[in-house]
Formats: sequence, C-alpha cells, structure tokens
Amino acid sequence: MTESDTYILFELAGSTYGIRSEQVQRVELLEHVTAVPNTAPSVDGVVFSRGKVIPALNLRARFGLPRLPYDRSTRLILLNVQQRVVALIVDAAREFKKLSPDSIRPIGETLHGVEGNYVEGVATLPDRMILLLDVAAVLAPEEIELPAGAPAAPTA
Amino acid sequence: MTDDSSPEFAQELLDDFYAECDEQLGVLRDLLTGLETTRADPAPSCFEPLFRTMHSLKGNAAIVGLRAAEELAHVAESYLKGLTRGELALSDAGLEKLLQTVQRLESIIGAHRQRSPIPAVADLVDGLKQFASPAPATPATDAPPPAPAGEASTTPPPTPAGDLYRFTFSPSNELDARGVNLDAVRARLGALGTVRSSHPVIKTGGMTFEFVVETSTPPDAADWLESGVTLAPISSSDATIAASSVESPVVPSSLASEPLDLPAAEDQGASLFIAPSHIVRVDIGRLDDLLRIAGELVIHRSRLEDRLNHGITDSSALKEVNLSLTRSLRELREAITRVRLVPVAEVFARLPFVVRDLARSSTKKARLIIEGRHTEIDKFVVERLKEPLLHLVRNAFSHGIETPDERLAAGKPAEGAIVLSAAAEGGFVIIKIRDDGRGVDARNLVSRAQALGVSAPPVLDDKAILDLLCTPGFSTREETDRAAGRGVGMSVVRDVVQDLGGNLSLQSVPGRSTQFTLRLPLTLSIVETVLFSVAGQTCAVPQNLVQEIIETAQSAIQPIRQTLIIPYRNGVLPVVRLGNLFGATTPTPPASSASSGTHATARSTVPVIVIRSEAGFAGLVIDRVVGQREVVVRPMDDPLIQAPGILGATELGDGRPVLILDALTLLEGAIRPLSASERTEAAALIASSS
Repeated sequence: MTESDTYILFELAGSTYGIRSEQVQRVELLEHVTAVPNTAPSVDGVVFSRGKVIPALNLRARFGLPRLPYDRSTRLILLNVQQRVVALIVDAAREFKKLSPDSIRPIGETLHGVEGNYVEGVATLPDRMILLLDVAAVLAPEEIELPAGAPAAPTA
Repeated sequence: MTDDSSPEFAQELLDDFYAECDEQLGVLRDLLTGLETTRADPAPSCFEPLFRTMHSLKGNAAIVGLRAAEELAHVAESYLKGLTRGELALSDAGLEKLLQTVQRLESIIGAHRQRSPIPAVADLVDGLKQFASPAPATPATDAPPPAPAGEASTTPPPTPAGDLYRFTFSPSNELDARGVNLDAVRARLGALGTVRSSHPVIKTGGMTFEFVVETSTPPDAADWLESGVTLAPISSSDATIAASSVESPVVPSSLASEPLDLPAAEDQGASLFIAPSHIVRVDIGRLDDLLRIAGELVIHRSRLEDRLNHGITDSSALKEVNLSLTRSLRELREAITRVRLVPVAEVFARLPFVVRDLARSSTKKARLIIEGRHTEIDKFVVERLKEPLLHLVRNAFSHGIETPDERLAAGKPAEGAIVLSAAAEGGFVIIKIRDDGRGVDARNLVSRAQALGVSAPPVLDDKAILDLLCTPGFSTREETDRAAGRGVGMSVVRDVVQDLGGNLSLQSVPGRSTQFTLRLPLTLSIVETVLFSVAGQTCAVPQNLVQEIIETAQSAIQPIRQTLIIPYRNGVLPVVRLGNLFGATTPTPPASSASSGTHATARSTVPVIVIRSEAGFAGLVIDRVVGQREVVVRPMDDPLIQAPGILGATELGDGRPVLILDALTLLEGAIRPLSASERTEAAALIASSS
C-alpha cells in the first residue's frame, strides 16, 4: 500500500474539503477579526497569531457563496505555505483523516462553478466525497475590484 | 598557534574593513566634491585630510589583501602627498582623476564584498602617476614614456638590504583580547624592518596573514610565537616569487582579488552600490546616553527593592517608582532609536557622481544639488533606499532634463539642476528628487500606455501619471537609454517605499519640473499613537501627525463639491468621515460595530482629529477618542492585506489587531487648498450655519 497523507477536513456550505496537514499550521476558534479597508472583498480582515498580523480570508466569499455570520463552529485554519501565513475562515473544522492516494483522483469535468477553480482533486470514500483544496489558487491575489491604489472615498 | 581563529572572526574582520572603507570613501568624496565646487586655488593644507584618509584606506586594503585597491590608493596617496607639500598644483584633470579613483576604489571594494571579479586599475594608476611625478625633471608631455604592459604594478621592490623572513600571523579572539591584532603585528613588523608584502590566506577554520619582511636583525622566533606569529627565513629569490604571485595560489577563487581585465566596471552598468551593511557607527555621546539611562534604571530598581523590603503600606510609593521606571524606559527606547539613526548623506553622497557620469557620456548638462544631507533616518531604511534613489536620479537626468538647446529655447539655463533634498517632518523623513526639466508629458504617456495595452484613465492627474509610471514594464522612452532603462523600474521604487511604510508621490509641471516625493517613517516599530474608535473598531493614528482633537456639531459638517468641511479657527477644515471608509468597503462586520456606529451618529457632536501635514490641516471624523498609547507596529506585509492608508497593526493586550492608520494617505484627496469659488461657498455655508 502506498503511503497515505493526513488531511485536515473542513466544512463549507454543505461540502467537505480537505487540506494536506503539512500546509496547516493550526486550527483556531475565531474570536475577532479586525476589518481592513481597501482590501479584496473576500478578505474579512486581520487576526493576530504569534505576534504576526495575518489576513483572514473568508472562503465562502472567495468561492462566491453567501457569507454566514460567525458562530461557535466557525474556525480559522492557519495555512503556512510559501513563507506566508494566511487564515481561512470556514464553517467548521473538526477532523483529521488519512487519505490513501488510491482514493484520490483529479477533478475532471465533474465540478463546475467557482469552487472548481480552487479544487485540485477529489477523494472518494465509501460514505462521502472530499474536495481537496488547491491552496495556491486560493491564496493567489484576487483581482482587486477597487480602482488601483485608491485610498478612502473622501466624501459621504 | 591558537585554534579559535574562526571563519566568523575572519568575516567580522572583513565587515569592519568594509564599514571603515565606506566611511573613508565617504570622507574622500565629500572632500573632493568640496574642492570641485569651490574651485578657488586651494591651499596645500586642504589636501592634508585627503592624504591622510587615502593613506588609511591603503593600509586597510593591504590588511585584507586587496591589492588592486592598495595599488591604486598608493599612487593617489603619492599625488596627494605632493599636493599637501605644495610641490604640485591641482589641475582640473588631476581632480577628475582623483574623483575617478574614489569611484574605482568603491567598485573594487564593492566587488570584493560581493565576491565578484575585481576591476582593473592599471589605466588609472598610469593616469595618476603622470600627475603624481613632479614635473620639473621632465616638462609635462602628453605622451609619457609608455610603460611595458604588466609593469603597471607597485613600485619595484628595492634590492634587499637584509635577510628576508616570512611571518605568519593567525589572529584570534584570544590574542585580540590581549591587544595583539593585525595592526599591532604590522606595527611591530614595521619596526623590525621593511614589510615587503602582506596578504591574507584563507583556509578552512580561519584566516591567517603572511608578511614578507626584510630585516638585518634576526628576529626571535619564541618571542613572536607568543603573539601568534610563526616565522621562517626565506631566500631572496623565494621572496620575489612570493611577493609577485602572492594572491593566486593561496586564496580560494571566491575571495581572490587579483585584478581582472575588466576595464572600468562601474561604467558597464554594474550597480554602484554594494550589499547593505549592517554596521552602524555610533557617536560616543549617544552611547553615553544609553549608559546614563541604564544607570537610572539601576537606581529605580534599588528604590523598588527598598520599598518592597520595608513592607508596602501605601501604594503611592510604588506608583512613584513605577512612574520613574516608565520614564526611563521611554528614554531608553528613544536613545536606542537614536543609535539606529544615520545621516541620509550615507546614501546621497554617491549620487552627484552618478549625475557627473551621466552628463559626461551625454550631450546633456546637469548637476545634482543636495540639501539636508544631515537629516537622519533609520539605518534599515537608508540601506533600502539606495537603489530607488539611484533610479530616481537617473530618471530625472534621462527623462526630465532636456538638451542644452531645448533648455535655452525654453528660457532655462543650459545646465539642468536636479535637487535632492531631505527633511524631517514629524516622525517622517521627506525625501524629494526634483529636476527643472520638461515635466511628464501626459500625451506621450497615454500613447505609450495604449501601445502596451495598459488602460489609462481619462484624466491624467499626478496620481494617475504615477500609477502609470509604476506599472511594471512601463517606460516612457521608446529606446531605453543607458541611464534609466535598466535596473529597478518605478514599480520597484514604489514597492520599496511602501514596504518601508512610506509612500511615493509625484508633482509634475509640464515644461518646468518633475518632483518625486518619498515620505518615509523616521524609525520603525514603536510609535506614540492616539487611539480612537470608529464604526465599532478601535484604530490608531501616529501622534506626531495629530495637531489637536476638537468636538464639532454634526450639523456643522457640510458638503462642498467633493469634500466635507467644518469651520476651524478662522477658516474651514476639510474632513473625512472615517466611518465610511470601514462601512463602505468591509463586509457586514460581525458583532458590535453596527450598533455603536449608529449610536455615534445619533449624537449631536462628534470628535474630529485634526491632522497636520506639509500641505495643511485636515480632519478625521471619528466616533470616540480612547486615549494615547505607545504601540509596537507590526507590519502587514501579506499581499492580501496591503492596503493604502494602513501603516500596520498593533495589539493592546486582548489579542485583537488594532489598525494603525496612515492619516496622511487617507486624507490625501482632502488636504488641498480650496479654490476661490469653493472659499466663497464655504464662507457662505459657515455664515448660514452659525
């Protein structure tokens, strides 16, 4: 049997997603996000983690899904990739799972919609499907919809 | 022989060498440019400091075995010696050669630091020798006796008058602690006889130095061994070989310093600047300050102990100690900050040379004028400014300054002026690069943008122009010329400035001038701030920008054209409702924000933080003032959260990030003089509302 990778599983709008555990620094309860003006719409703001200011990216917004108010199950998944630390805001996250490479296949034409751009593969288990997140695509800079470099709107 | 001559030790030695060379080159440049601008027939004594500095530089170069620099400095030194003694007179051409020498020395040291090939010096050595050899014997001719190639090295060694010995010195921390260092060994060897050659040998585990010394007194090996020096007699033929092939076999190629045939590398587009140095030279007075504060802290601590030992009956005694501690800690922090400050001259000083060089290889004429060279800025900031400033100065020359004909036709002096200035403003340093050239040609820019498929906004104000110029890959010239076309580009300039927590702006007057302004924080990391809340969120602004905080009636906030104004002193104050900034662009925030926001608008008066800047006053309308606080600035450097108007974030103890706002950027649009009609309108509004 080939070696299995450990994944952190999380929920978003009724689907289960997985992120390879070596890309995850840790998972935290979401307590407070400080909004930052003039950033991409999917950036809810910043949080502090170990003395660093970290962007908190709302994955629902990133996928073009309606936002939900934060609640007790809302989690921050702190990713550590390519020398960046970025927190993803997800509906819930409470599982680790080893997924055998045999169960994983690339996404074909099966997946449409915005999420499709951010998924690199699908793991099929007997009871459910897990969409594997393409972390690099999620963290790539979003096309900013603000006029370039514009500061605040000065008037009411 | 000791074993602790570690690679770190050797590296430290080299770092010291570079730092010292930087300083010496700076001094030489200053003195020479001084001579160049005064032009009056200088007294021989003017050359004394030049001579001394060149001499020390030569010594340093010899210590690290940088033969090319040593050789060049040597001839320059003899020339300067002649000038100091009044035996020679300084000609324009001679001055030119000296300036070139300093530049070449800089490239050599830079190349050594970056372990790249060392530029050749033979051409300059020859050139200098013509000036250095006193004229009387042979009347100055244009064709000096051509020296056979390869003989352009140091003066041929005189025939030995004594025996030759090879001394090998292995420096170590332990020896250093005993005061036995290279200088000391060199001095001792100098006293013993004539040092014929010296060079470092780098091997695994450390660095040693070999000297070939000629002496008639046989040295005492045991005595020298105590100083970490071994010695062995050598025959004179060996010595010649040792002296002439000194660099190649022993020094690993990565550190080799033999001159390669790379004439004038600095003209070939190599960066003028060397890797950032991490060494700060500190004024002793500033260190004394630190020591004094440390002393005060000791006293506070003993008072605290005293109070604790006597049992705490009333807390006011402790409070008093706490107050003293707070004061001393603040002083300590400020003193340390000052230690990190260096004059901008460190980065400015090289730039007049850049302009001279450009002017020489072009039909254009221009000079660089430096103002505010003593303005101080954080070492970290200054190191990162080198490339951007170089680019801006080159830009000013290539894109700004016109040809003499064009300038004369436009009624300007044939020679263009580029003014580089630095000044402190609050906690910021403002650096401006202004040229009196043609300004930015907006139409040219638009067509260029179209050609590149970049969309240009319909109205090109200075800000839009700057945005275009900072588009990666954008250049206003069809053919990128030597001066500006290569290198970093405006986009990188702006990135660097923003990374440092500063901003870049442009003021262009077509036909008259172009000015780039860099606003940079004086120091990083800790700032005194005013904390306030707006739209349910706590924010901070640097206190040094705050003029005062006033209360104003909601009804007094009046829209006029694109701006909001309130009456202020005897006029009006443009203001920005900060709440809109957060409300307008953030997602419906969780929790408390909405309620407190509406609560604030229901009140009849609101606080306004009056911000002062170079351009005037403007106000931030907020919900509530929280207080003053010294905070540690954490950078917000992830691309997802780099936003204009945000300096960084801090934390007040509850784990929540608090944004530190760059009030000046937020108010950029608002702070501007009102037009005449706006003033009339404003006056009418104020009259009717009061």
